[in-house]
Amino acid sequence: MPYLSRRGSVRLPAMQMFKGSWPASWSTARGWFGGVVLLVLALSMPLPAQAAEGPVRIALTAAAVRDELPFYDRWAAYLGRKLGRPVEFVQRRSYRDIIEMLRTGELDFSWVCSYSFVQALDAGLVDLVATPIFRGKPLYQSYIIVPRDSPTTDLMQLEGKSFAYTDPDSNTGYIVPRAMLRDGGRNPERFFRTVFFTWDHGQAIEAVADKVADGAAVDSYVWEYLAAQRPRLAERTRIIQRSEEFSFPPMVARRGVDPDLRKRFSDAILSMAADAEGRRLLGEMMLDGFVALPASSYDKVRALPTALPLR
Amino acid sequence: MTMLRPSAWSLSIKLPVIVCLVVVGVAAVIGAGVVGKDRIELREALSDNARLLARWVAASAAEPMLRDDSWSVYRILRQVTFEGGSGETEVVTAMVLDREGKVSAHLQPGENPIGLPLVVHGDSEAKLLAAALGAHAPMVLEDEDGKFVEGIAPVFAGGKYVGVVRVRLSTRQLTETTREAALVVLALALGLAVLGSLIGIRLSLGAVRPLRRLADAMALLGRGNHAPVTIKGGDEIAQLGESFNRMAAEVAGKQRLERELAQSEKSAALGRIAAGVAHEVNNPLAGILNCLSTIKDHPEQPDLVARYLPPIEKGLHRIRAIVQDLLVEQRAEHASELCGPECLDELRDLIVAEVHGTGITLDWDNRVDAPVQVNRPRLQQAVLNLLKNAAQAMPDGGRLKFSASLDGGLLRMEIEDTGIGIAEEDLRHIFDPFFSSRKGGTGLGLWITLRLLNSMGGGIEVRSEPGKGSVFHLHVPVEGEGHGPAQQ
Repeated sequence: MPYLSRRGSVRLPAMQMFKGSWPASWSTARGWFGGVVLLVLALSMPLPAQAAEGPVRIALTAAAVRDELPFYDRWAAYLGRKLGRPVEFVQRRSYRDIIEMLRTGELDFSWVCSYSFVQALDAGLVDLVATPIFRGKPLYQSYIIVPRDSPTTDLMQLEGKSFAYTDPDSNTGYIVPRAMLRDGGRNPERFFRTVFFTWDHGQAIEAVADKVADGAAVDSYVWEYLAAQRPRLAERTRIIQRSEEFSFPPMVARRGVDPDLRKRFSDAILSMAADAEGRRLLGEMMLDGFVALPASSYDKVRALPTALPLR
Repeated sequence: MTMLRPSAWSLSIKLPVIVCLVVVGVAAVIGAGVVGKDRIELREALSDNARLLARWVAASAAEPMLRDDSWSVYRILRQVTFEGGSGETEVVTAMVLDREGKVSAHLQPGENPIGLPLVVHGDSEAKLLAAALGAHAPMVLEDEDGKFVEGIAPVFAGGKYVGVVRVRLSTRQLTETTREAALVVLALALGLAVLGSLIGIRLSLGAVRPLRRLADAMALLGRGNHAPVTIKGGDEIAQLGESFNRMAAEVAGKQRLERELAQSEKSAALGRIAAGVAHEVNNPLAGILNCLSTIKDHPEQPDLVARYLPPIEKGLHRIRAIVQDLLVEQRAEHASELCGPECLDELRDLIVAEVHGTGITLDWDNRVDAPVQVNRPRLQQAVLNLLKNAAQAMPDGGRLKFSASLDGGLLRMEIEDTGIGIAEEDLRHIFDPFFSSRKGGTGLGLWITLRLLNSMGGGIEVRSEPGKGSVFHLHVPVEGEGHGPAQQ
């Protein structure tokens, strides 16, 4: 059996696939696994083709809330009209998968985490296209959250507890909390009893809400978005600390992408707030718009991990 | 009190009760069987579910466990138990433990932190945990209280044992289903009981009504009325009715015959009495008339009057005696009086005089020790008659024995002689009027004695052996029997 989760996970709402009574769901479960295999195959097939007239492929990462599939269909249609080419959103489990796909040319654009961006930028893989504006600023931060009824008030009190990271290449979900521990004189490798990766900010919130993790560090945008859209989940968690602010995870272009396409894509993204449909889509994402920033805006993100005794 | 004795109940109650009990019993036995079987099957299904869920989790969680991906393990556990636990199956808890018994994932993550050994409370929980950690193949355990079943499946990744899955399913649904089924069976049994009672009542009415008609007809028959009963059908009860009708007809015929016979016997007895009276009265009358005729024919011999008056008087006395004997019941007073042992002892003197010089010895044994209320003249006459009879039965002497005693409310007397006895064919007739085996007797003595005793509510029995003697047993009901004088 291939390692499905690593190869790729299209985050389908699993619950919709499990309906009916127990014995039925057992057979459905096999169908589920089979269905995932088929989906993975279907998604992998066009990859080597890389035809010029194929769809424009944009990757979504943990930086976005990725389980609103109908929304991304509508956004893809919107961008497709602007670009004059079909647009397809692609999801992968981790940032590394995305970076790898950018390296091999399987992707054209991607919405990546700030830390992944500086890594890819330094590797000469991508160029900055646009930075989202969230609540008036192209900034976000890391929230340290704990279960709502937890007595914890500070990250330092979570010693010997379980902690949920998002992704080893996530700024707010990994680098920032480790930097905070380091600044507090703790060894992040041994501070917690157990750690695990959820590969998604939303699921990190869920892990804390369910008390599987005693704490987590999450993207402030994702937490605020979920607090507004799914308050029943976010309200089971409590923010105990907010990190300093960083430039928001940006939309990037693969360096080898057709300059004309890149120009059109950049225009389409940056002008979204100019038309009604674009504003409605932005509103659904709780974003005000996109802005073009110099790559130096992310220097602060780059500065953080160099001082970390990383793994 | 008879209500408490089932054997005393009416058939119309007994039959419905029996039918009802049988129906309820059958319904209850079948129902219990069905419910029991149902429960076993449901329990097996529950166990299968627990095992399948555990195996499902184990199959899905193997890879993430190998990678220490606790979040994925938790998501699989939550998802499988949520999906598998919907509907009939209620998941109490579920967990994935690593090979050392530490929690990899738990449905109650707050109370069971991952990465720490599972904390168990109580012996039964510890036993279950030990059994789960020792499991090398999927299996199902049950808790001691029967509250849940636990499916256990070891997790193997790449042929290596990495942990165990425990899925606990509640038996509450099972219990509820069983209870509902039991309620349905109970309701069914009650319904059948009502139905059975109705059928029983119908049956018993069908069976009891003709029986009751028969019983009523029999009661009527007992009072002498014969009404035929009609019972439809050809069953045993109908046959019984026909038999009864035949029997009743026969009884009626017999009764008619008996009535006719009694009538003719009465006529014959009356005739016999009339003939006896005529005969007995005729003899002295003939003598008297003869004497009167002689006196009338010989007016010249006045001495004839003096000569014939005594026989005339004697004849008239005899006629009067016969008439008085016939009127015995009118003659004697009905009033009873208090009468002690002396009542009988008075008779002793009379009979002593009677037997004087006849070679008869008298054996007198009067054990009456308290006064009793009795019709004295009748009692005395009846006893005296028998004593005289006994004396006359011993022309060549012998022994006359009299004894009397009080036995409860009865005065018992026995008169025994060693005389000539009574022939067997005569025994039946000795109490008939004008029956006499002795010359010169009126043949009314024993008849009168019997009538006297009967008039007092008493009776007489006789045993006799020709040549050896006779015994007469008398009994008369008395009042005031007791120790010491009667208080009346």
